[in-house]
Parts: sequence; C-alpha cells; structure tokens
Amino acid sequence: MDGARIAAVGVLVALAALSAGAEVFKVATLAPEGSVWMEGVRRGAAEVARRTAGRVSFRFFPGGTMGNDQSVLRKIRIGQLQGGALTAGGLAAVWADAQIYSMPLLFRSYAEVDAVRAQLDERLLAGLAERGFVSFGLVEGGFAYLLSTKPVRSFADLAGRKPWVPEGDVVGQAIFAAAGVSPVALPLADVLTGLQTGLIDTVASTPVGAVALQWFTKTKYLTDYPLIYVYGTMVLERTAFERLPAEDRAVVREVFAGVMRELDRRTRADNDAAKQALLEQGLEAVTVAPEAAKQWEVVAAQATATLSARGAYSAALYEEVQRALAAFRASGVAAPP
Amino acid sequence: MVCRLHPWRGGRALLAPLVAALCGCSAFVSKASWPLADNLLAAILDQPDPETVRQGAPAYLLLVDGLIHGAPESEALLRAGAQLYAAYASAFVTEPERARLLAATARTYGLRALCRASRRACGIEQLPFDEFAAALARLRRADVPALHAAAAAWAGWIQANSSDFRAVADTARVRAMMERVVVLDEGWDGGSAHLYLGVLDTLLPPALGGRPEEGKAHFQRAIALSGGRNLMVKVLYARHYARLVFDREEHDRLCREVLAASPAAPGLTLINTLAQQQARQLLATADEYFGE
Repeated sequence: MDGARIAAVGVLVALAALSAGAEVFKVATLAPEGSVWMEGVRRGAAEVARRTAGRVSFRFFPGGTMGNDQSVLRKIRIGQLQGGALTAGGLAAVWADAQIYSMPLLFRSYAEVDAVRAQLDERLLAGLAERGFVSFGLVEGGFAYLLSTKPVRSFADLAGRKPWVPEGDVVGQAIFAAAGVSPVALPLADVLTGLQTGLIDTVASTPVGAVALQWFTKTKYLTDYPLIYVYGTMVLERTAFERLPAEDRAVVREVFAGVMRELDRRTRADNDAAKQALLEQGLEAVTVAPEAAKQWEVVAAQATATLSARGAYSAALYEEVQRALAAFRASGVAAPP
Repeated sequence: MVCRLHPWRGGRALLAPLVAALCGCSAFVSKASWPLADNLLAAILDQPDPETVRQGAPAYLLLVDGLIHGAPESEALLRAGAQLYAAYASAFVTEPERARLLAATARTYGLRALCRASRRACGIEQLPFDEFAAALARLRRADVPALHAAAAAWAGWIQANSSDFRAVADTARVRAMMERVVVLDEGWDGGSAHLYLGVLDTLLPPALGGRPEEGKAHFQRAIALSGGRNLMVKVLYARHYARLVFDREEHDRLCREVLAASPAAPGLTLINTLAQQQARQLLATADEYFGE
C-alpha cells in the first residue's frame, strides 16, 4: 500500500471516529516509558480502543514530562489533561483521606494491608469519584523502609542524621518533627546526588524504588521495619469520563480495573525480589528490638495526631481503618511483614 | 522522607534498551593465538545477512565451548565466548528462557575472562557493591578488554532477566565497570563503553534522576570515537535520548542518517544491518510515540 493510500485510510478512520464522538484521554505520569506501569496502561488503552471501535483512545505522557503530581492535577483542572497516574500522597491534594493507608506505622504486615484494603478500597475509590476523579483500583507501591549510611535501630539513632523528605510530604515531615529531627526536603531527582555528597544520609523507600533509582549504592543499612505503606492509582477526570456512552464507560472500567489489579499484584512480588536484591548487594539488615519498636509507635502516634489536627485525614475513616485492623489482629491470622 | 514513587518498576524498562548494544565487537577479535575463533568471529561480524547468523550461530557457540574446554584458561577464548553468547542471546533469541540461559553462559565466560586478566578481579561479582567498586579501581589498562567484555555480557544478562529485580540491581555494577573502562581506555572497541553509559544515563527521566544531557554527551563521544561507523550508536541515541526528551527532529534526523549510510564496515556490518532494521522501526512508530 502506498503512502497516499495509507494516509487516506488514516483520514477515513479519523473521520469515522470523530463522527462517532471520539474521546481522547490525555494521561500523564511519572512512570518512565517502557516501565511495567506504562506497558500495563498502554495494553489497556489498546484493548479499549479495539473494543470501542476507536471511540475511546488514550494518549500518555510518561516520565514526568507533564511535571509532578501537583502540576498534573493542575493541568487536569484546566482541561489540558484528562487524567494522571498519581501517588496517594499526590491525590491527598484532592481529598486528604486518599492517603489514609499511608499513616505512619499503620500496618505491620502485608496480611494486614490485604485485610484492610479488601474492606475499604471501595470507599477510597468512591471518595475520589465524589471529588471528580474516577479510579479503577488502587495499586500497591509497597512498604517503605529506611535506608541509611549508619544503622538506625531506634528513633534515638536518628539524632544528628540528615534524613530526606520529598518536597511537600506532610507525612514524612510529621514523623521527623515528632522525632525531633529536621529533615532535608529535596526533589526525587536529587536524592542520589544528595546521598553521594552527604547532604542527606537517610532515606525511606520501597525496595523497588531503592533498586530502580540505585539509592542502595550510596547506603549501607536497611532498617527492616515497615514505616509507611505507599500506593497510587490512575485517575480520569469525571466529567470527561461521564461524557462517554454507558457501554464505553463499562469497557474502560472493566479493562483498567484488570490492569490495576495486575499491577497491584505484581508489585508485591517485585518488592520481595528487590528487598532480597538489596541484601545481596551488601546492605545490612538492621532489626528493631521490641522496646525500640514501642518507642517508634509512640512517635508514630504523635505524628498521626499532628496530622489529624492539621486535617491530613478524617478521624471517622481512620477509625474505620483501625476497626478493620483490630478485627484482623483479633482473628489471630499472623504473618510476617 | 518516603519515596512516594508510583509502583512502576524498572524491570524491562531499565534494560530492554541494551538489546541492541551488542557493541562493535571488532575489538575483541584479538591477534592472539586462536586464529580459528578470531576468524569465525570476524566472519560473523562482517556478515551482511542477520538471518544467516541467526541460523548458523548456535554451531559456533558449540565450537567456542569446545575450544574453551580445551583451553579453559585462555582469556582471549573466554572473551570470545562471552561476546558471542551475549550477542546471540540479545539479538537473536526471542524465547525468554533460552535467552536467560545463554546470557548466563556469556556472563560466566566474561567474568572468567576478567579473572584471567587480573587475579584481583576473581570473584568480584560476589563482593558487596562498595567493595566491588573499590576492586574495579585497582584494575589497569591491560585489563580493559576483559573488563569490557565482562561488563557487556553482564548487561546482556540483566536484560535477559529484566523482570527480576535481583538482576536489575546489578545495573549499578555494569555502570561502574563501564565507567572504569572509560577512565582506562575510552577508545576501546570504538568507544562502546560510552554507548553503554549513554543508555544508562537515559533510562530514567530527569524527574527520577535520569541525566539525558550527560547521556547525550556519551552518545556523541561514542560517535566520535567510532568515526561514525557504528550505526547502532545513532539508533540508541535516537531511541533513548531523543525519545526521552521528546526531540522529534533529532530522532528522525539520526534515524535517517542511519538509513542513508552504508552498513558495510569491517567488524560492524552485522551490527549496522541490525541498526538499519531498528532505525526503520523507530521511524515507523515515531508518529505514535511523539503523538503527531
């Protein structure tokens, strides 16, 4: 087929799509091209395009080309974008409770995470939808652990350290404030250099993040104590989504729910492998003794109270999370973190 | 303090690019004492038909295995084995299981070659990362051929295992090895260490700590050092740098230059032919990628 004919066919397809009221969702994310995230959502987009005969299509902006979570949200509000893959921390700007699972030391194990999420994920999705963002499922980022150049066994060990917090991370700020330590705020991109130059010496990250961003090459210890549960999701702007005919909405919902589920499951296994990789690369695992753990819990409770006072989450939802946790703990199903 | 990353994983993202980096390889055709192995390699690298290599290479792999069996301490043969296995696994094998197996053989041969070149490097892969980096600092210019071969084979092994984070973590080691090659003898193998560093610097977007401009400088240095004859450099430059920074003009210019050039060059004909295939694919998918 020659170029002219291809072009002609292209125009026809485009016209057909237009006449049927094509909807293009421009979606931005920090995930780089070729990552499992991007592969997943591109696969989903292709399936949606096929099943809606091209009426619904997606255009992705990977690798942070549209800026961080806050600028993506801003661009969604002004209609420049119709969606984004965002972290729970980023979504907290839309609805504080979106990051309820990220309260410090909330979960002790993945078994607890699974028990609570099974009960409350739908609530979080409904809360986001009420505020104009449609999500098809939360995706685990995993537990963040401390990585440091000197061992951190207790909060006392943090004295004099230079921990990193991402710019605008209220949870991280609250934890360090409760521990009486002043953290250094840096953009993600500057963390590796910061570790190298000694500007910072302690970071918290999921194992996957520590491997992918190579932070492990500048740290020596991993405190084997889950600090925070990190997660994210892809959201679409609700009015754009609701412009779709009902049958197309159903397709998008079904396909992307599947993609999110798959990504959610896969992260768990990747973090397990990444954590093992960190130890194989020579990081030393530091354990937190029971007495020290009690102290951490006191500090976490202070941080959580501070966050509550600042309206970083609603007491009602937090209580529900706590009730679900208590029920799970009482059921006696124990599992290691 | 928490890395609030999306749960994206480096995985395939990180290393898929190295697929093409089966290097110029001309450098490892040594003048040493294994004319048969050298001649075979030269013939493969000068082959203009990739399909012939795809079909014929397994026999050569067995042959190199046999030669190594007969002379297990020959650095030159071990290097040849590493390069052949790595190149075949990354460029021609599509079944993941086979690719992993062959890439593992390449890595083992590469590390054995490095150990033969310098006793300081024996067992280096078992060391924690900081000791590993310190051990590299003790290697000398004479160790560069084996160091480069081992690093390239290791990169291929990571690529074959790119869905396993335990393998992906070794990316830092490959980077450290290639950085050492650049310090000791940057022109080795037509500057291909710069090519690897260019890819490594452009795997992540700037928001995540990627360094596209440093990567670009590495690609340009690799072009200069290879006298522009290794067309794969421009393909990787386009795929990684130009796509990462969304520079359509640069992307298309690089691809068109690759297609306009003659692929025939001593030691580079095969790789250049593959580079032209990939340049065509890049151009064919550019509209979709750049959203035009």
